[in-house]
Amino acid sequence: MSEASTLKRIGLPIPITILGVVLVVFACLFPFLWMGVSSIKTLPELYTVPPIWWPATPTLGNYYKVLFESNIPRYFVNSVIISVGSTFLALILAIFASYGFARFNFRGKPLLQSFVLIGQLLPTAAIIVPLFITLRVLGLVNTYWGLILVYMIITLPLSVWMLTSYFKAIPVELEEAAIIDGASRLGILFRITLPLSTPGIVAVVVYAFVTTWNEFVFALCFATDSSVKTLPIGLAEFSTEFNTDWGAVMAASVVMTLPIALLFFSMQRLFVGGLTAGATKG
Amino acid sequence: MDRNSTGLVFVLPALIVLAMLIAYPVAYTGLLSVTDRQGEFVGLNNFRAVLAARATPQAFWNTIWFVGGSIVFQVLLGTATAILLNQSFVGRGIVRSITLIPWVVPGIVAATTWAWMFHTEFGIINYMLTGPGIMPEPIGWLTNRDTVMPVLIAINVWKLFPFVAIMVLAGLQSIPNDLYEAARVDGANFWQEVYHIMIPQVRSVIVAVTLLLVIWGLNSITIIYAITRGGPANRTLITPIQIFRLAFESTQFNQAAALSVMFFAVALIIVIIYIKALAATPGEAK
Repeated sequence: MSEASTLKRIGLPIPITILGVVLVVFACLFPFLWMGVSSIKTLPELYTVPPIWWPATPTLGNYYKVLFESNIPRYFVNSVIISVGSTFLALILAIFASYGFARFNFRGKPLLQSFVLIGQLLPTAAIIVPLFITLRVLGLVNTYWGLILVYMIITLPLSVWMLTSYFKAIPVELEEAAIIDGASRLGILFRITLPLSTPGIVAVVVYAFVTTWNEFVFALCFATDSSVKTLPIGLAEFSTEFNTDWGAVMAASVVMTLPIALLFFSMQRLFVGGLTAGATKG
Repeated sequence: MDRNSTGLVFVLPALIVLAMLIAYPVAYTGLLSVTDRQGEFVGLNNFRAVLAARATPQAFWNTIWFVGGSIVFQVLLGTATAILLNQSFVGRGIVRSITLIPWVVPGIVAATTWAWMFHTEFGIINYMLTGPGIMPEPIGWLTNRDTVMPVLIAINVWKLFPFVAIMVLAGLQSIPNDLYEAARVDGANFWQEVYHIMIPQVRSVIVAVTLLLVIWGLNSITIIYAITRGGPANRTLITPIQIFRLAFESTQFNQAAALSVMFFAVALIIVIIYIKALAATPGEAK
């Protein structure tokens, strides 16, 4: 009886827990370890059977090749411009839209809200063709603006969804008090609501940045000129040539993964909190 | 407390952008699918041409097989991982962060890294399997017609099971403690707790996540395109890649549009059936 009434969990048997944790950690980390090790191997060391676990003569040659002898730095800059631009635009649009959905009642609101979510449900492959033609008519194929705009399809719906549930959680009374004091709607939004929803904003920024940084299909279709190509496309070019230089590919993968890993781990607590809060409140 | 129109003003900019990028292209796809290059109306000719292509039914079944196979394992592994990460053990926070890594890294990075690991001659996986004698000789994982699809599914599962895990974990954490206590008073063991408390309580989360996985699965071009481009012999050609190829490699925009319309319709039907099926069994597990 005394055992049953304690709060201690029964839990998995400890050996199974340890085994499971080791397996999960191994599965999640091993590809990145292998990526890192491969990126500092020389060509002969990469192409040996059996593979060697640690290079006898670690080299930075692959990184030199990627950073100074390829288009990767250019693509890196393109990726930064496009990701920052589309994240910023998505954030601004999402802040206004979410505030409108969270604080006002107007005709057709449920319909409009579901229209926003449809963007998330749409198979992107189904709209590649007309999007391409639309961008061509607007003269936006192979421009930064083209990709920045197109990325709204992917980032905006979920951003609006997350921020709406965040704004709803902020007590209306705070805003009502400010209205009585004569504050304008915009003043309230920027002075009261936004500062209170910093975690939600951070979640949206991380989500939008990571998504656009990683995006492949739209970039493949709408950025065919090396002046606007993004990193994922650069990496694909590297590895689809007939003779893949795996050392350089792995070095480029490291270069591409680092910013996203740093951003994600510095913001992880806030991001996961925002994401799961949005999901459970629905 | 406000006039009707104020809220609409706030919402409008986002809606205009989305309408321009979604509603207009969707309508335009419909138009493209029934016209030819010159914009002349050709009825269902594009549809006929697409359906007559041998690749179309093959891509359709490949898509079902890829999406279905991925989801089953993503949900099973993700839920199992969530239950594991819900246990208390030293270093749990770090392990939770590590689990998220595959989901966060760019799909193209995952694809190239795994392609290198599955390399026939120099890949670490063939080495690990042939070394201790699990396999007699190296397998051409990505060139063999029978192994390439399962391998791609495995990579896709690896990429997305963390997302399922984190969402289900959030659900597990919101289960009130008295449910466990009640079960314990009744003498339940761990597996009974999993079956009678955890799974029913996170059922709605799993359902929502599965819907997202279906949609993402139907969208997933990156991994397959980067590794095999649909080959060998169209063995991994899925419909989204077929649409891409029709449009940008064969520049058959109108046929690609016709295929898009059919793809969209099938996707919509799947989603509707799924939502209907959910509505039909409300709280059956409660």
